[in-house]
Amino acid sequence: MDIYDVLLRDFPFLLKGLGVALVLLALLLVMGFILGLAICMIQLYGPRSRFIQWPLIAYERVFRGIPIIIMLFIFYYGMSGLLDITSFGAAVLALGFRSSAYQSQIFHSAFQSVPAGQMMAARAVGMSRVKAIRHILFPQAARHAIGPWTNEFSSEIKETSLAYVIGVVELTRQAHYIITSTQGNVLTVFAVVALLYFIVNRAGNSALYAFEKKLAVPGFEK
Amino acid sequence: MPEFITFGIKWLPELLKGVPITLSLWAIAITLGFFLGLVLTWARVYGNRFFYWLSTVYIELFRGTPMLVQMFFIYLGLPRFGIVFDAFTAAVIAITLNSAAYQAEYFRGSVLSVPKGQLTAARACGMTQWQAICCIMLPQALRRVLPQWSNEAIVELKFTSIAYTIGVVEITALASDIGSRTLDFFQIFLWAGLVYLVLTSSVASFLGWLERKTYVPGVTNV
Amino acid sequence: MSESLVLDVRNVTKRYDSLEVLKGISLGLNKGETKVVIGPSGSGKSTLLRCVNHLTKPDAGEIYLEGEAIRDANINAMRARMGFVFQDFNLFSHLNVLDNVRICQMKVKGADKKTATHRAQQELARVGLEEKASAYPAELSGGQQQRVSIARALAMDPVVLLFDEPTSALDPELTGEVVRVMQQLAAEGMTMVVVTHEMSFARQAADEIIFMENGHIVEQGSPDAMFSHSDHERTRAFLNVIADHG
Repeated sequence: MDIYDVLLRDFPFLLKGLGVALVLLALLLVMGFILGLAICMIQLYGPRSRFIQWPLIAYERVFRGIPIIIMLFIFYYGMSGLLDITSFGAAVLALGFRSSAYQSQIFHSAFQSVPAGQMMAARAVGMSRVKAIRHILFPQAARHAIGPWTNEFSSEIKETSLAYVIGVVELTRQAHYIITSTQGNVLTVFAVVALLYFIVNRAGNSALYAFEKKLAVPGFEK
Repeated sequence: MPEFITFGIKWLPELLKGVPITLSLWAIAITLGFFLGLVLTWARVYGNRFFYWLSTVYIELFRGTPMLVQMFFIYLGLPRFGIVFDAFTAAVIAITLNSAAYQAEYFRGSVLSVPKGQLTAARACGMTQWQAICCIMLPQALRRVLPQWSNEAIVELKFTSIAYTIGVVEITALASDIGSRTLDFFQIFLWAGLVYLVLTSSVASFLGWLERKTYVPGVTNV
Repeated sequence: MSESLVLDVRNVTKRYDSLEVLKGISLGLNKGETKVVIGPSGSGKSTLLRCVNHLTKPDAGEIYLEGEAIRDANINAMRARMGFVFQDFNLFSHLNVLDNVRICQMKVKGADKKTATHRAQQELARVGLEEKASAYPAELSGGQQQRVSIARALAMDPVVLLFDEPTSALDPELTGEVVRVMQQLAAEGMTMVVVTHEMSFARQAADEIIFMENGHIVEQGSPDAMFSHSDHERTRAFLNVIADHG
């Protein structure tokens, strides 16, 4: 049986692995988005107290300064001592927290690139601070954020592959299974896997780019 | 907490043996990636059609697929063609090739951001194209790219941990090894995380210092 | 005739797509002459200047410097003998003032550092900026930057200096210091082609004024002839407009 037959036969497994990778990606991005936005809001509009701001800075530094593999291991072994967590769950948490540290910085600079006059103008017409942030600042910041956020999407799809190390059966591990079970052609299998990542990455980028175009407002430039 | 400290005192010396491996892996790869990145940039900005496409395809492929897959491809896949590397060399090659793609992308942005008049003035006084690029374009482009380059350097420092998956005995591999001996994976990976945090922060401060040291008013903040 | 000319531009043409910017321009400069090129924007005067040292490559025509034709093969050596002063200065922004004046001497003429430094200091003194040697371009005013760029050109010991609207990017109060340097150079016998809107400079320092429009030389003559009794209606109209705007 040559490698192409093997690939054909086992392709459903690769697709299943890809499915796991995509669910992981979706969950970590959503978690990173919510947490990241919350962190950014506290940093920009929350109390200025050091007891609140410094831990947030430390949080960002730690999650940005430690390799993903180490984070995955820490969450996997740390959580499994406390509660019954699957490797998938640990991967979502580790990558989600990590992504939030990156996303908060993306949102942070996006909000900061909105001119200060916008807030003043919103307040001057009688909007509350919260309303001004929600209706005036957020729509503008979102347009600034979408470019960098696309980059974040790209790095996260690739980084889901690292969940392999704690035993999540995602795309890369499925590929490994195929290789070890068939003594198959490693190059071909990994080329197919690489291609799948590449396609998802490209598709995601195009979708986000189209979204960016759709949101585009004349005269609003970065 | 005291248990965590005593555990650290006992195992940290062994863990730290991985630091030179991690750092040399990183330093070699990032340096080679720098030069390859410059070549790719040259091909993309000044090259003819053929070199432009070659460089573009290279950059897109390496940025579009996970480093883990790239490393497996080189270490596990190439031996099929009789190309066999030891794990360290394979890791250096993978990180170099990956990093070059990102560095090239950043270099391109910075090269294109240097005002055209700078090169024109250099040519006007009789400099050759190469002299103009080396003496005028590069010093400015490199200063402009330094913040992004620093990010990239730190990303790759964290990525060296992926070399663990192909058996390079760097920090992550040692942590995993100590973990299996002590059966305390959680604590040793926490310690490994701390070691990486110190490394990434030190590199970040060094590059920050370099940025201030090479600062020239009007080059970076125009 | 061409033997004695320092710069001899013969029948240069340049076209961008359908737009013919230069329709066969010829002009010559003897040693020590200053010629000022004036004309409305879009008349092709800046393109002409850039064609002279092949920053823009002419479609046809020849340019001779001291009798030697400019070719691709000798372009860098020829450019080294022609100083070019840009509208927006184009000082090398990563180099301080001293290095800006030294770098072309060292890289192009192969001057050693000591010689280059000495020449640089001389030329900086000539434009009155020797005390700014260690400043970076971004720390200087526009007028100062333009004086440095003149020093940079002079340090190459050029046989001709080409000025491309050297005061157009400057605030009005800063043009004076640059014009004074140019007047001084003209008086010292530098051979110069100056594209400018500074009519006071043209009147005072030019040996000949060339009026260009739509890629042609419409008229050329002494400042006196041009300013007081030009034969051409177009020239008079242009000079009137310029005069009205100061």
